[in-house]
Amino acid sequence: MELTAQLSAKFELLQNRYPVKRSALIPMMMYAQDEYGCVSDEMIAEIGQRLDLNNVQIEETLAYYSMLHRKPLGKHHVQICTNVACVLKGGNELLERAKKRLEIGHKEVTNDGVFSLEEVECIGACTGAPAMQVNYDFYENLTSVRFDRIIEDLDAGRRPEPEKVISGALHERHPAETPLISRRWGIKDSRKIDVFLQHEGYRGLEKALKEMTPDGIIDEVKKSNLRGRGGAGFPTGMKWFFVPKDSPKPKYVICNADESEPGTCKDRPLMEMDPHQLIEGMVIAGRAIGSHQGFIYIRGEYRYVLDIVDAAIAEAYSHGYLGKNILGTGFDFDLLIHTGAGAYECGEESALMESLEGKRGYPRIKPPFPAVVGLYGCPTIINNVETLSAVPSIILEGGEAYANRGTPKNGGTRMLCIAGHINKPGIYEVPLGMNMKKFIYEVAGGIPGNKKIKAVIPGGSSCPLLTGEEIDIAMDYDAVAKAGSMLGSGGMVVMDEDTCMVDMARRIMHFYAHESCGWCIPCREGTTWLRKILERFHAGLGRPEDIDIIADLAKNMLGRTFCPLGDAAAMPTISIMKKWRGEFEEHLKGRCAYKSAESQVGSR
Amino acid sequence: MAEQKLIHLKINDRDVQVPQGTLLIEATRRFGTEVPSFCYYPGLSLQAACRMCLVEIEKAPKLQTACTVIATEGMIVRTDTEQVRNARKYMLEFLLTNHPLDCPVCDKGGECELQDMVFRYGADTSRFVEEKIHRPEEKWSELVYYDAPRCILCFRCVRVCDEGMDVKALGVGMRGANSVIIPNREDHLECEECGMCIDICPVGALTSGTYRYKTRPWEMQYVSTVCTHCSNGCKTTLSVRNHEILRSNNRDLSGINKDFLCVKGRFGFDFTKHAERIRQPLVRKGEKLYPVSWEEAAQMAATKLKAIYDANGKDSIGFIGSNHTSNEENYLLQRLARTTFGTNNIDHHRTVDYTGLVTALGDRAADSLLTMEQLYQSKAVLLIGNDPTNQNPLVGWQIRSGIRHFGTKLFIINAKEIKLKRKAAQFVKIAAGQGLAAFKWLAHEEGELATELVEQLVQLKAALEAESDVAIVFGAEVTGATIAQVVAFGSKLPGKTRYMALGDYANSRGAADMGILADRLPGYAYVDDARTREAFERLWGGVIPSKPGLTVPQMVEAAQNGKLKALYVVGANPFAHFGTLGYGRGKLDLLIVHEMFLTETAKVADIVFPAASAYEKDGTVTNTSGEIQLLHKAAEVMGPRSDFDLLRILSHQLEKLGLGKAFHYKTPASVFEEIRKAVPGYNVLAAGLLTGGAEATRVQFARNGHAPYDVPVGLIRSAEDTLFTSGTLGRFCTMMESVPEAKAKP
Repeated sequence: MELTAQLSAKFELLQNRYPVKRSALIPMMMYAQDEYGCVSDEMIAEIGQRLDLNNVQIEETLAYYSMLHRKPLGKHHVQICTNVACVLKGGNELLERAKKRLEIGHKEVTNDGVFSLEEVECIGACTGAPAMQVNYDFYENLTSVRFDRIIEDLDAGRRPEPEKVISGALHERHPAETPLISRRWGIKDSRKIDVFLQHEGYRGLEKALKEMTPDGIIDEVKKSNLRGRGGAGFPTGMKWFFVPKDSPKPKYVICNADESEPGTCKDRPLMEMDPHQLIEGMVIAGRAIGSHQGFIYIRGEYRYVLDIVDAAIAEAYSHGYLGKNILGTGFDFDLLIHTGAGAYECGEESALMESLEGKRGYPRIKPPFPAVVGLYGCPTIINNVETLSAVPSIILEGGEAYANRGTPKNGGTRMLCIAGHINKPGIYEVPLGMNMKKFIYEVAGGIPGNKKIKAVIPGGSSCPLLTGEEIDIAMDYDAVAKAGSMLGSGGMVVMDEDTCMVDMARRIMHFYAHESCGWCIPCREGTTWLRKILERFHAGLGRPEDIDIIADLAKNMLGRTFCPLGDAAAMPTISIMKKWRGEFEEHLKGRCAYKSAESQVGSR
Repeated sequence: MAEQKLIHLKINDRDVQVPQGTLLIEATRRFGTEVPSFCYYPGLSLQAACRMCLVEIEKAPKLQTACTVIATEGMIVRTDTEQVRNARKYMLEFLLTNHPLDCPVCDKGGECELQDMVFRYGADTSRFVEEKIHRPEEKWSELVYYDAPRCILCFRCVRVCDEGMDVKALGVGMRGANSVIIPNREDHLECEECGMCIDICPVGALTSGTYRYKTRPWEMQYVSTVCTHCSNGCKTTLSVRNHEILRSNNRDLSGINKDFLCVKGRFGFDFTKHAERIRQPLVRKGEKLYPVSWEEAAQMAATKLKAIYDANGKDSIGFIGSNHTSNEENYLLQRLARTTFGTNNIDHHRTVDYTGLVTALGDRAADSLLTMEQLYQSKAVLLIGNDPTNQNPLVGWQIRSGIRHFGTKLFIINAKEIKLKRKAAQFVKIAAGQGLAAFKWLAHEEGELATELVEQLVQLKAALEAESDVAIVFGAEVTGATIAQVVAFGSKLPGKTRYMALGDYANSRGAADMGILADRLPGYAYVDDARTREAFERLWGGVIPSKPGLTVPQMVEAAQNGKLKALYVVGANPFAHFGTLGYGRGKLDLLIVHEMFLTETAKVADIVFPAASAYEKDGTVTNTSGEIQLLHKAAEVMGPRSDFDLLRILSHQLEKLGLGKAFHYKTPASVFEEIRKAVPGYNVLAAGLLTGGAEATRVQFARNGHAPYDVPVGLIRSAEDTLFTSGTLGRFCTMMESVPEAKAKP
C-alpha cells in the first residue's frame, strides 16, 4: 500500500534496527495506527511483506495488545482510568460523565468519528488521579469542569495543554526524604544532556569504564545491596553475576520500562526528568556483563516519555556516551527504545522478551532464566528503570555508601508513589526501611478529613493489603514480607475508612482478568470467574456460599499458575477475604455503608 | 548409539531409573503412573500451560509441572498426594467454567481427553453459576470446523501446524479468557488441509467436516490398515459403522507415520461409496457397456482370451498391473501372464525408477535402502528432485521432524523452489536435465559445468562428507544412468549412505518388487536368469519366457498399431497416462479391465470387472521405502470383488478351457506365505506385521552380468500428484475435492 513519507521512513528505520526483523512488528503497528487510526488489512499485508510474516502471525500478535485496533478509533481517543487509585478519586464518575458528554459507551466511536471512549486500566498517573489520556496526552487531577473544558477544546480543534510532568513528582522536599536518584528533579531542563553533565552526569560511567573492571562493577553493585525495584526484589548484583562470561552469543541489557502495576508511577518521572541517568546506568550494566546492545521497553501509553528518552539517546550518541568507543575506552554500546502496546503481562520479564521479539506477550518456561537464555535466545539482563537509574550513584559513591542509605540487605533509597486517600499524593524518595506509618502521616500528609485508614496497598495492587493497624512497620523488602505483604513496585494506595472493600476486591480482580494473558488455565479461568462472582456480589446478588468460594478459588490459583500474574491476582483477594470478610457479610444483607455504594443495586 | 547415562529417582516411593534428560512426565508414564496433561504432547515444544501435570518434588517450594522438569539424580517425586489431587481437581473445575458441557452432542464425546480427565480427577459438583462465554461455531473449511467454547486452549493445534507442518495457518486471537484459536484468513483457512489440528485436539473444539455429527465413537469398529493414496504407506485407522467408513485417523500413533496423516489419508476415503462406483460386471454390446452376471462376464473373459491366445500366440496379449493393488494381487497377475499365457508382456505405470536404484546398488541393496524411521533419524538428508510436501507428505514430515528433533541437515537439489527449501541448509538449483552432469561431477569431478554451480556443488560435497550418515532421497527426475552416478557419489561419502526412491501411489514399490516388469521376475532377477526362472517355473508350473516383454508405453503403442491383440488391465488407466498416440484402444480385439470407476481405459473396454479398493480387502502393500504392512478389510461395498478374487476366478475359468493352472490359494495370506518364501527380500517376520508394524524388505539382487542401464524416455512418469490429487481415486474423493486449495492446483 501507499504509505506517507513519514511512515515509510519510520518503517525503514524500524525494520532495519533489530537483530531479528520481527521485533519491529509491534512498533510498526503502533506507528501505523497513529497515522491511520487502526491497523487495516492492507497495512497487515504491507507489514507482513516487509517483515516476512504471514497474516496469522500478525493478527495474533495484534489481537494480544489492548492498544492495537483493527477498526478505526475516533480522532480523539479518550481513555479513562478506573483502576484502584483513580476509582478512589472518582474515576467511575468521570467515566459516567464522559459517556453522557460524548453520548457513547465503552469502546464506541461517535458518529462523526471525532471521539472514541475507552475505560482503561492503570495508565501510570496514580498520583494525579483521577486521570485520563486523550491519544497519548495525559490529563490529571480531573474535575467535571476540567473534563468538560478539555472535551470542548478538542471539539473546537484545539489541543488542551497536557501535563508537562506527572503530578506529584515535583513538590517541596520533606526533611525525611533523601533524594538521590531523583535529585535532579526540578532542575530546569534536567532532561537535557548539558544540564545533566553539570550535575555529575555520566561521571559514574566514566569511573566504571576507566577505573573499574567488569567484575569490579558487579562487585560494587553486589555490595550496594541493590534489589530489583520492579517488584520481585531480586538482588541486582547477583542477577548480573549469573550471566555466563564465556558465551559466544551476543548479550543484551534490557530496561523494563513497562511500568503498569496499578498504583505505580515512579518510572515515568525518572524517565521524564532524568533520562540520561537511566542511559548511564544501562551503559554501565552493559560494560559489567559484556553487552553491546541495550533496549528500553517502554509501555505504549508513555509515548511522550518515549520521545523524551529517544531524544536523550540521540544526545548521548552525539556526545559519545553511546555508540562506538565510548569515552575513548574502546567499549561500544548501542541503545534503542521500543514501544509496548498495552499489556500488563509484558512487565513480566520473559513475556517482555517475547513482546520485544514481536510476538504475543506470553511468559516463557523458566529455567532457563534470561541471564542464560534471554532475548533472541541470548544471555540477557533485564532490570527496572529505578534499578538501573540507581547504578550511576552506586558507582559514584561506592556500593557500601549506597547500601548504608537503607537497612541491612535492603540497600539504598526507594522511590515510593502514594495515591488514593492521601493529602499529598506524590512520588517520594526515602531511605529503604522508613516506617510506613510515618511515611503516610508525615511525609505524605495524612488522610483527608482526618479519617482513619482502612487499608493500604503497600506496593502495587498485586500485594496483599494491610489494615490501618498493620502499617507501623519498616518499609524494606524483608519487614513488609514479615507483615504478610510485599514492598513490591513501590506503588502505595491508601484507602480510608469509607472505602468499600467488596468494590476494591472487584476492581482489583477486574484488572487481572483483563490482563491475564490466557496462557495457563488457573489464571485465565480463575481471574475471570472471580471477576464475575465479585461483580455479581458487589451488585447485590451475592449468595452466602460465594464468600468461601471467592477465598477458595483465589487459594487454588495461588502458586499453581504459569507466571506470577495468577499469584498477583490471588494475593490481594485472599487478604481482603481474610481481613474484611465482615463487609462481604454486610453486603449480603443488602447494605453497603460505604462511598461506592451508588453502584449497588439492592438485595435480592 | 552411545550408552545413555541412567538417572535414579523415586516416584511415589518406587525406585526407578530413566535415561539422562528424560522429562518427569515421561519418567512417570514409563513406570505406569499417569500424570495427566493437555498441553504436553510428545514431539512438540513444551508449554506448561494447562497445569494438569503438577507434582510434588521434594525440596521444591511449590508444585512443579512434570512436563518441564527434567529428572535429576536423587529426585523424590510424588504424584498421588492430597495436594496434587486437589490441584488437578480445581484445575479441571477452572477449565469447565467456560466449557459448554455439550458432551451429548459433541463428536468427541466418548473419546474426549477432557471427559476422561474429569471422570478420573475432577470434582463431582460445579460451583460455577456465572454466565459462560459463548461464541458461535465457525466453519473454517469444508473439512475443519472450530467450536471456540469447547476449546481448552492447549495450543496443540497451533504447534502442530507450525512446528509439525510448517504451515503456520493457526494462531491465537484475543487474550485472557477470551482467547480463541484463529485461522489465517480471518474467517477461514488456507492451508494444506491436513487435519492434523483436528486429530491432535484433545476435545471437540476442532471437528472434521467429513465426520461431524454422524455417529458416536462407541458405535464404530476400528480397522487399522494402510492409506491407499501415495506411496509413503501411512498407517491409518478407519472408523467403520455398518460397513461404511466414516473417518480416517491415526490416533493410536502407531505405524511408521505415528501421528501423521495428510489430507488424502485423513479425508480421502469417500470414493468407496461414490455414486459412480462400478458395482456389476459390464460387457460391451456395440457402443455401450451393459451389466451382466458374474458367470457371464467371467466365462466370456476366459473364452475370448483363450481364443486370441490360440489364434495369435503368446505375445499377442499384454498385461498391465496396478500401482495400488496388493502385493498378492500383483504377484498373481504376473504369474498369470508369465505361466498361463507364457508372456513377459507385463508391466505397470512406473512412477520412479526403483529398478534402476536396485540395479545400481547391486548386492549392496539389502542394507542400503532407507526406511522411513531411518530417514527421520538421519544426520543429513540429500533430497534430489521431487516435492515431498505435495507428492510424498510423510517423507516431508519425517524430514521436518528430524530437523526439529535431531537437528538433521537438509540439502536440496531441485529445479523448482519447493516448500522444503525454507528448512534447507543448502539449496542447489539445477536446470531440468542437468542432473546427470551434476552427479557425474559430484561422483568423479568430471565434466564441464557453470562455475557458479561447481562452487555450490563443492560446498555441498564438503558438507555431506562431514556427516556420519546421509540419506539420499530422490524422485522421478533421477533415473537409470543418473541413479548410477548418484550411487557412485554416495558410495564415496565417508559416512553410511542410504537411499530412497520416491514413487507415487500406494503400492508402486510392491508392483516393482513383485515383478510387474517386462524384464524382471519377482525380486528384480532378470528374466534371462535361468536359475531364478526355473525356480519359479517349479513353483508355478508352466514355462517363463526368457526374453523381456513389452513395457506399458510399448503395449499402448502396440495396441494402436495392432501388434497387440488383447490387453488385460488391472487397476490402471494407461490410455489416460500414456495417451501420446491419442485416447482409445487402437486395434485391440479384446480389452479387459478391473476397475472401480469408468476411467478413460475402462470406458473403451469390452469387459469391465468391478474391483474392490484397498480399504475393502486384506493383503499386504509395500511402501516406497520398501516396508511391508498389512491391509485389513474395513468397508463392505456391495458388488465389487477384490482383484485377488477376480484373478482366482479367471484362473479357474481358464483351467477349465485347458489353459494354465488354476490358483488354489484360499486367502491373500496364503499367497503372502508363498511370496515370503519365493521372493528374495520378502522373508520378513510375520509377527511384526501381525502386530500392526511395518517390516522392511531386504532386496537381494545380483546383477548377473547386466550393467546399469539408461531407461527410455517416457517409461518413468511421475504422477505429479499434489496434496489434493491421487490418480483415479482422487477424482472421486468428493470431500477432498471440495476444498478451495484443491481447485487452485499449481
